[in-house]
Amino acid sequence: MKRVLGNKGAVTLFVVPALFLYSIIVVLPVLWSFYYSFFSGSPGLKWEFSGINNYIKLFSDKNFLNSLLVNLKYIGIVMIGQVGGGLLMALMFKFWLKKFKNVVRTIVFFPVVLPTVAVGQLFAKIYEIQPNYGLLNSLLSAIGLSSLVQPWIGQASTALGALEVMDIWTGIGFHSIILYGALLDIPDDVIEAGRIDGCNGWNLFKYILAPLLRPMIITCLVFSFSGTVKLFESALALTNGGPGNATRSLSMYMYSVAFTYNKVGYGSVIAIFIFLLCITGSRIINLFDKKESYY
Amino acid sequence: MRKKILATLLSTAMVLGVLSGCAGTTTGTTASEAPAEAKEEAAADTATDAAASTSDFSGEDPQLEKEFHILSIWAEDNDNGVLINSICKSYQEVNPNFKYEYELVSSDDLRQKVATLVASNDLPDMFVYESGKPIVDLIEAGQVADIGAMLSEIGSTDYVTPSATSLLETLSGTDTIYDLPLGLNVEGFWYNKALFEEAGIEKAPETWDEFEEDLQKLSDAGIQPLSCGAADKWGATRLINAYTVRSLGADAMKNAAEGTTSYTDEGYVKAAAKIQEWANKGYFGEGVNTVDMNTAGSMLMTGKAAIFYNGSWFASNLNDTTANAAGEDGIGFFNIPVVDPSVSAADAYSMNCGNILCLSQAKTDEATKWFVKYFVEHLGDVAMETQGSIKGYTYSAQASDMSGYTQLVLDEIGKAQSAFTWYEATMGSELSDAAQNNVQMLLSGEMTPEDYMQSIQDAADMAAN
Amino acid sequence: MSEKTKRGISSVIIKIVILIICIVDIYPIFWMLTASLKQQYEWSAHPAYALPDGFYWQNFVDAWTRGHMSVFFKNSLVYTLVSLIFIVIFSVTVGFAVTKMQWKGKKFVADYFQLGIMVPVATALIPLFQIYNRSGLYNKSGSLIISYVAFGLSLSIYLVTGYLRSFPDEIMEAAVIDGCGIYKLMYYVVVPLMKNAIVTVLVLQFFFKWNDLLFSMTFVSSTDLKTVQTGLMYFSDEFGSKNWGAIFASVSMSILPMLLLYTILNKTIIEGMTAGAVKG
Repeated sequence: MKRVLGNKGAVTLFVVPALFLYSIIVVLPVLWSFYYSFFSGSPGLKWEFSGINNYIKLFSDKNFLNSLLVNLKYIGIVMIGQVGGGLLMALMFKFWLKKFKNVVRTIVFFPVVLPTVAVGQLFAKIYEIQPNYGLLNSLLSAIGLSSLVQPWIGQASTALGALEVMDIWTGIGFHSIILYGALLDIPDDVIEAGRIDGCNGWNLFKYILAPLLRPMIITCLVFSFSGTVKLFESALALTNGGPGNATRSLSMYMYSVAFTYNKVGYGSVIAIFIFLLCITGSRIINLFDKKESYY
Repeated sequence: MRKKILATLLSTAMVLGVLSGCAGTTTGTTASEAPAEAKEEAAADTATDAAASTSDFSGEDPQLEKEFHILSIWAEDNDNGVLINSICKSYQEVNPNFKYEYELVSSDDLRQKVATLVASNDLPDMFVYESGKPIVDLIEAGQVADIGAMLSEIGSTDYVTPSATSLLETLSGTDTIYDLPLGLNVEGFWYNKALFEEAGIEKAPETWDEFEEDLQKLSDAGIQPLSCGAADKWGATRLINAYTVRSLGADAMKNAAEGTTSYTDEGYVKAAAKIQEWANKGYFGEGVNTVDMNTAGSMLMTGKAAIFYNGSWFASNLNDTTANAAGEDGIGFFNIPVVDPSVSAADAYSMNCGNILCLSQAKTDEATKWFVKYFVEHLGDVAMETQGSIKGYTYSAQASDMSGYTQLVLDEIGKAQSAFTWYEATMGSELSDAAQNNVQMLLSGEMTPEDYMQSIQDAADMAAN
Repeated sequence: MSEKTKRGISSVIIKIVILIICIVDIYPIFWMLTASLKQQYEWSAHPAYALPDGFYWQNFVDAWTRGHMSVFFKNSLVYTLVSLIFIVIFSVTVGFAVTKMQWKGKKFVADYFQLGIMVPVATALIPLFQIYNRSGLYNKSGSLIISYVAFGLSLSIYLVTGYLRSFPDEIMEAAVIDGCGIYKLMYYVVVPLMKNAIVTVLVLQFFFKWNDLLFSMTFVSSTDLKTVQTGLMYFSDEFGSKNWGAIFASVSMSILPMLLLYTILNKTIIEGMTAGAVKG
């Protein structure tokens, strides 16, 4: 056994090609942009060494701080929505759904398939208010709540919420399927035993299901987190960062700085910040994984 | 490195080719009327005095080999894409050795694409870009060719109209042009005639006071007075610009950009306040920030709103009978009403050259110049013939079927005696972003006019260091 | 209220909730199809949820011809399939090596690969462009395939390692006792048992690669080499004018292969997604 699994030649063959490719195409550009972060301007345009100026600038940059705040709010809500909602749905499938299991599971996965552009447009039309009321406003006025009719994505106070709802919708099916699978892995007799011991509803979940589901929930959280930190495409598709800067994420700000303001150096600093934020966040989430790590 | 050497070798070879080619034509007979045989004969006895005439562009095209890469934001069958492709194709008949590649990026991604290309010194031979501040960065970095100088070298200066040239010079703040125009547009208010009638308005307003009265009349008649594509942001800042220029003069934005005035000065704030006031009165309808220019335009055509600010390019939408429910004569145009004629006169129009074409400095060679010569000498006619549009070049052709709207636009352009530019023309990207993003906050009432102008000033201060 | 009626009511409520969830998830696809059949004027004349006035197939014709869909479709298919093959091979081998095999530094390598999940893609654009430009790969299909593979690795390896965690050692031991070497073990034992995990990786990566716009826009310039998502650009212009009907026709066509793939494989996918590697 040991001899077979310790086969040096096989390890080399298995790991090196991918390692090589990954290092050159993914890691090298990241290091490269670290190098860029010490320059002002853009390569080819006013490209000058500026030491750590970009780093100093970062924390007095109101736009950056605003984007950070927007992004953090978004991460919090969407993570809870996607994973929490996914968990609820998974529990529902497991305990309450008797017929049509396959059909329902197939359907909830659909949103993952749709391109972001299409989802963004769809929701823009749902939230629409001019020239015609969209689905949401029509419903509201139909059930007599005309006072709630408003430009959902046209004002800073509701735009982020509207975006969060959209992205929860997109991700919830995916997470529910993963968590549902984890639920299936829990042997029925464990649940039965719990029931016999008098655990029901919340207690059953708290003392029996939650501990067993923990590794998968953590995986889902990491998934959701790394996706939400990099919020870009969906905000671009729905609100284009607006109104004002109400939905401009860190990635969007970085993109503007690098390519619209022609400050690739400063943009790289923001990118590095996103990268670090991502690593820190994942580490924190993994702290909850008290089980031994899997290596 | 190896690539560089190769390129140098190639270009040397190409220059040699040019020399013999040119010399050939000029030793034949003079200039373009040379009969084909004579030219061939002359070319056959090749270059004895090769060095003589590198910069003579008056003769026949020397048919230089060229791989020409064009980066554009219009599909081949759309708008300017049609024109560029048609010119390239007909140029290939003149010079069969000219090959071109036409690359399309979306206009949202143009800046990113160009930034990436600049970073590796690999700008395409010809590319679409934005006039105003963006191009200034490229000029300062020496990345784009001095087209003014090139035009005079190839003797084609007169083919670009003086008004386009001066507009482009103003926009880049230089005394020569670094870009070719792809349009010569006026902007102003398009209005739905039927709705004006319904509200009892007899003629289009000429002064700002009349304008505001008319807005009120429309509003009183239960008609949405204005549609505005604030989702596309520039649709809203143009309105601020309209009042700013009419009340402070054509140089207002330039002065603020240069620091002689401040964006937070009273006059600027007042213009922003004007737009917010309209929004508060409900002139734009509900949720103006969610409406894009496209929707705003169709609201005008379908009679859901009475007035819509847009440029003369909007005529192409109006000409589309499937989209224009108002019909062939249902929509009219008026210039931005005047606040004080002594500050900004009625025959001053907001004008722009649309997106513009630049040439990579590094890739410009003899072959490029021959192509540019052909391009500027033919674009005006092709545009007029196929689309009935003015692109900033002289033309002698007549459009085959000129619609009422096309004629209307031509007339308005003809009336323009002087031009002013748009709100963000003098702003760097940071300022322009602040102005455009925050205008939505201004419209939704979540930002005061003072704060709005302050945010632009802040961006200016931030960009400076 | 008796226990029975109570249960009856709650079962009805649950049914309704599930029905609503299904409607909410299916509606967009239905909506997109109706949207792709609308004429331009309908967008402002009627609310967006209204059904189209008629079947305006011209949108599909426009999308197919003006949007160069036939070329783009073929390109996307080739790029996606080729990169998927590599992604699967690499993720299974690396995933296996860092979880089940015994060698120094495997934890480090696993962490190193995991970092890639965190990289904001836009950061890499300019450096990558320079790498491709200098190595002559710019504007070659190779640059796209390489980028797709490299950027697909981290997540795929992460998924595979997740499955392998619960992969029983006993099966492998039995195989080794039967005289399997490492390669045979992989080929005859590990890979077949990981079918579900592999399908999951395949499908997820298929969605990501098929929907890519950023890379294809940056690393290739010829129209002949571009991908499906690029086709959407043919219907909007510099002043924000958009032909929504044609855009949604393109989108509908572009998600068709994904829907097909998903419908055919959906059972395997769901099983794969549900970490059922052990149950096989």
